[in-house]
Amino acid sequence: MPSQRSANQWVEAWRRMRRQRLTMFCLAIIVLYIGLAIWAFTGVGFPDWDKGDYTRNNEGCSLQHWLGTDIQGQDILFQTIYGTRVALTVATVAALLAAVIGTVLGTVAGFFGGIIDELITWLYSTLASIPGILLLMAFAFVLKDKQFDLFGWHFRLTGINAVYLALGLTGWVGLCRLIRGEVIKHRDRDYIVAARAIGVSNSRILFRYLIPNVFHLVIITFSLSFVGYIHAEVILTYLGLGVVDVPSWGKMIRDGGQELAKGHWQQLTAAAVAIFIISYALHIFGDALRDALDPKLRGEGI
Amino acid sequence: MKLWIGIGVLAALFAAAFIIIPMLSSSGDDAGEMVRHIALGSKIRGLDPQDIGDTTSSSVGSQIFETLYTYAYLKRPYEVIPLLADDMPTISDDQMTWTIPIRKGIRFADDPAFREGRGRELLAQDFVYSWKRMADLNNRSTNYSAVFAGYVVGLDEFRDYTANNNHVDYDREVEGLKALDSHTLQIKLTKPHNFLLYWLAHLPTAAVAREVVERYDSEIANHPVGTGPYILVGGYAGKSSFSMIRNPNFRGEHYPTEGEPGDKEAGFLDDAGKRIPFIDRVEWSIIEEDQPYWLNFLKGNIDSAGIPKDNFSQAITVDRELSPDLARKGISLNKFKDPSVYYYGFNMDDPVIGTNKPLRQAMSLAFNRQVYIDTFLNGRGELPKGPIPSMFPGYRTDKVNPYVAFDLDLAKAKLAEAEKIQGGPIPPMRLALGGTDTTVTQMGKFFRIQMKQIGLDVEVDYMTWPRFQEAQKTRSHQLFGLGWVADYPDAESFLLLFYSKNRSPGPNGTNYSNPEFDRLYEQAKGLPSLNDRIPLYQKMEDIVIEDCPWLITHYRLAFILHYDWLKNYKPNDFANGTLKYQRVDMALRKRRLKESE
Repeated sequence: MPSQRSANQWVEAWRRMRRQRLTMFCLAIIVLYIGLAIWAFTGVGFPDWDKGDYTRNNEGCSLQHWLGTDIQGQDILFQTIYGTRVALTVATVAALLAAVIGTVLGTVAGFFGGIIDELITWLYSTLASIPGILLLMAFAFVLKDKQFDLFGWHFRLTGINAVYLALGLTGWVGLCRLIRGEVIKHRDRDYIVAARAIGVSNSRILFRYLIPNVFHLVIITFSLSFVGYIHAEVILTYLGLGVVDVPSWGKMIRDGGQELAKGHWQQLTAAAVAIFIISYALHIFGDALRDALDPKLRGEGI
Repeated sequence: MKLWIGIGVLAALFAAAFIIIPMLSSSGDDAGEMVRHIALGSKIRGLDPQDIGDTTSSSVGSQIFETLYTYAYLKRPYEVIPLLADDMPTISDDQMTWTIPIRKGIRFADDPAFREGRGRELLAQDFVYSWKRMADLNNRSTNYSAVFAGYVVGLDEFRDYTANNNHVDYDREVEGLKALDSHTLQIKLTKPHNFLLYWLAHLPTAAVAREVVERYDSEIANHPVGTGPYILVGGYAGKSSFSMIRNPNFRGEHYPTEGEPGDKEAGFLDDAGKRIPFIDRVEWSIIEEDQPYWLNFLKGNIDSAGIPKDNFSQAITVDRELSPDLARKGISLNKFKDPSVYYYGFNMDDPVIGTNKPLRQAMSLAFNRQVYIDTFLNGRGELPKGPIPSMFPGYRTDKVNPYVAFDLDLAKAKLAEAEKIQGGPIPPMRLALGGTDTTVTQMGKFFRIQMKQIGLDVEVDYMTWPRFQEAQKTRSHQLFGLGWVADYPDAESFLLLFYSKNRSPGPNGTNYSNPEFDRLYEQAKGLPSLNDRIPLYQKMEDIVIEDCPWLITHYRLAFILHYDWLKNYKPNDFANGTLKYQRVDMALRKRRLKESE
């Protein structure tokens, strides 16, 4: 049974990864970041970002403020930790959105073929031909401050929501292409042909047999692209298109670049180090996950 | 053999890339051309003089377009002198008819819009046309209401005629605006206009040529063709840098021979009587972020600059003087009071903020101005009292404005009143700021934090300067941050911002309206003597202070730096197009740049 095989595949992958100490170390870092993000979500112990202390702004490192304070007198260490929440949330939402779009479109295109396949291929080829960051900026620009009325529910796309959408709407191309190729490969395999022959419906074939068999690709792409989304959020915010009123790494780098002239290095450094560590951990872990789940893909890069 | 040819070609290409191209690109400076380098902190909104209302566009446009009058470059107090006019206006005894002779032989810059591409002579008719353009509602000029509305016989009727009329007939006669002959202009007024002379020295009344406007139509803001000393090369739209070169058709004008005491010693009269302009080419760049702007100045890539807040301590000592490091580089400092006031405006048309005076007062009380000035301006601001800055006659040192104090208890009490009027909690508000750079976002956050102190939520929208201005014209801001620099040396230049007939798209951006204020304003405008006007100005100021359509933050103290290779650089608050007086010592510049390498 295919699902049985998938379950074994996951157990086997975990067993393989557990032997690698570096991978486990990176996983620990990721878990730590997730922990920090969850802490930031609870808000316990965090300063109020709508409160300033202008008698103690632009301070250097001290016992009370380990990494000093920024121009509004807000603690830089806490900003860095809070930045984890923003980065991980944006990356998770965007990666999920991209994964859903990519999987659905990829499977549909691969399975049905014909005009549907051509349409989807045309769509992702067009998107892929536009340089990523430009496309992302264009989406973020267009989506920013857009207002929607959905089923009587009114909402406005402020900074961070626009970033979610922009990243999700531009990020699905790679996964879609991969899934489509894999589905085409599986489409004519015996077990699918057999399922068809006994009259299993298309939707059941898709969801019961095909998607579980290509799902490892979704996981691999998700983990490898995750770090890309974190970077994209930082870049968008740095360019003034992303998060506005709460601390984020991009905003810290943006502000910190200017503060550097006054000798305040903490903001820039803290954000850069935070980004470096999580990027490093995610890359190593993502690579290990890929190797464990699908050794054929080793070295291909996604 | 082929290999050697290939290598030879590659070597030649490298030579071109690394030796010849850099030589070509710097050839301008080496060819003995005098070049001025200027950086602007925000994008240009447009170079249609009738529609220019912001200082950025004005600083560029005023090098291209000229007005009938201007301010003497060096003399203080400021004195109005003829520019395109041949003489001061002849004003009839009843003050109602102005006759202005126009200098002969002045030509527009060459442009394909003219016959055979050669700029034609400037005529009195050009002013009639340009001012009708300002009145034309289709052009949505920000200036008409302040300059001419209600004063020129028949011009308001012309304005009404342009409403709902896309094909305006500019030959339609306006009784109060006439070209008596090719070089004599006559203005007939409905009532005496004490500030008309000042307005005739202000860029929006500059002359444009009808052929040019008709040729470029909606693209006119990117095709400025004037009579001034410089012409724009290839437009500015969408560019981060652009150039101007000398206008070969520019008449012979001469550097002033008189100044104020001390000018001679300061070297401002060294070029007295010489033919101007001196500078051959002006290189403009738009640098919105503070740090690149500052580094470019330190590298000598721009000749003059303001000081970003984060570089202030590097540039200025605790005694408020220039740091020795910069002085050694040949930089000098000009400190002066700017004729300006900075504020956050409340849109009085807004259903929440416009109808709720205690709310506006509460917000004004919750804003800590001293911290703002210290944090974001390095102290380069004066605590304000009202809309009339301290350098203007009419300012009262003993005046107490109860709403510019930082008093959170009073603010909360006012907010409680405001909530009663609102009938519940105040909904979140939106503040628009005309910039997207780091400093502006920090200021936006500061505003948010200040309002949060009394429990008010404010969201900040950061937009480009052109977009901000467009939104202002259509009254779509709820709160907005802005400054106003006086157009002429009279406090009326600030009070006009509250006159109801100047509401957006006019300069009254808050759309404030108060009948008593209007009455006093109209009365003051009719009084020829400043001493008679001052008591009225003060009454008007009191009304504005109480109604609080502005959260005034400060009057600016300007700190401007420039290198010693830039000569004749004297700040002039009101004159337009002063680049023609400036000179660049290119040899000294080259030496200084070499020294600093």
